[in-house]
Amino acid sequence: MVRRVAKPVSIVLTICMLLLSLPHKSAFAGMIGTETVLDATRGQEARDYLNRIFARADVRASLIAQGIDPLEAKARVASLSDAEIVSLADQIEELPAGGSALGIIVGALLIVFIVLLITDILGYTDIFPFVKKHSEVK
Amino acid sequence: MRRIIITLLVLILNLMFAGCGGVFFRQWPQHSEHLPVSHELDSVPFYPQEAYQCGPASLSMALTWSGIQTNPETITPEVFTPSRKGSLQSAMIGATRRHGRLAYPITGPDSIFEEVSAGHPVIVLQNLGLSWYPVWHYAVVVGYDLHKSTVILHSGVTPRKRLSFRVFYNTWARSDYWGLLVLSPSRLPAMATKHNYISAVLGLEKAHQWRAAIEGYKTALARWPGSLSARMGLGNSYYALGDLESAEAAFREATRRFPTDGMAFNNLAQVLWEQGKQQEALEAAGRAVDLDGPLVEEYRKTLKGIQAGKP
Repeated sequence: MVRRVAKPVSIVLTICMLLLSLPHKSAFAGMIGTETVLDATRGQEARDYLNRIFARADVRASLIAQGIDPLEAKARVASLSDAEIVSLADQIEELPAGGSALGIIVGALLIVFIVLLITDILGYTDIFPFVKKHSEVK
Repeated sequence: MRRIIITLLVLILNLMFAGCGGVFFRQWPQHSEHLPVSHELDSVPFYPQEAYQCGPASLSMALTWSGIQTNPETITPEVFTPSRKGSLQSAMIGATRRHGRLAYPITGPDSIFEEVSAGHPVIVLQNLGLSWYPVWHYAVVVGYDLHKSTVILHSGVTPRKRLSFRVFYNTWARSDYWGLLVLSPSRLPAMATKHNYISAVLGLEKAHQWRAAIEGYKTALARWPGSLSARMGLGNSYYALGDLESAEAAFREATRRFPTDGMAFNNLAQVLWEQGKQQEALEAAGRAVDLDGPLVEEYRKTLKGIQAGKP
């Protein structure tokens, strides 16, 4: 008896679980939902954001002052994964004094952050846990 | 014998207080140089709470401040879980959205006074007990004073209660600094990040608060005009409302700004098609398929649908 009931029930349950685990679809046929867009664009937007920061004259000047080639630094940052880039962009955006508005004065904090980040990537410092060190011993 | 007892007592005390939140005092708040020395909001009403009802009371204060006429009695059934004698954070967020208000969570201790000095009250979750004997409590931060090192809260039955930084920080740390801004979607948090803000607006879409979502996406675009997500969200919200013309305009702008992104062309195609603009719809859908990308199967479906005929 239990077996006879168990089989159809388990089939129904399996289908329910499958439906639950399907990827998120937009509520309307033919349309790409905002959530999908948000997920898809996040990495790229963070990359663009960082590139704009590297294009700033004050950032470049302070990197050069530290003996770091801005081009090399940019290349190193480009090699980070999407998740790492996003985490990085978030940290810069959350800096006080409106760090996200590139137009207004961000001041010394951003510079310090960028310099530490670059030196982290180059392996001189170890401030940011998400930065993978290239010289890391496996 | 005495030594053994003392050792045991020390051990027990250690165990009791292990993991009881962050250890004050690591110079909090950080970076306070640019903040006004003290600030107190006088536009936040106070509703005294009844037993266990700190969640509804706190949310009512924040909602009323944001321009929604309400009171704890009407909010209680929306957030209160009787079996838990409390209100879950997710319920607080959900209720905020159902009232067409943006729920912007705060994570971390560093931005709270920026928000208050920008005029935004912050709902905070405190554990007034200890980690192993929790007494959870919601309150609304309405001010602070850096000189006197006090936080001013509407809390429980006390309006404008003053707590020292030390006590506030320790009780708040035990909730991992959980905080919530309840904002009209035309307002931006003082310390908003693009992704968090757009995610918060997306929450309004999920709650089917399309008009509030539209407002929120417009606010986002005023601040971050280069956000594809916000522009697509704007179009999707108009579409959900049935305002196909405005949806078309939003998606068109998205395709103009992001000519290499298939998602914008896909949605533009669908909206054109539903307005009977078959030829333009075909072009847009074809463009999406040509542009390729991870979602190209979706674009093909859209294109096939249009080729098949009726919407």
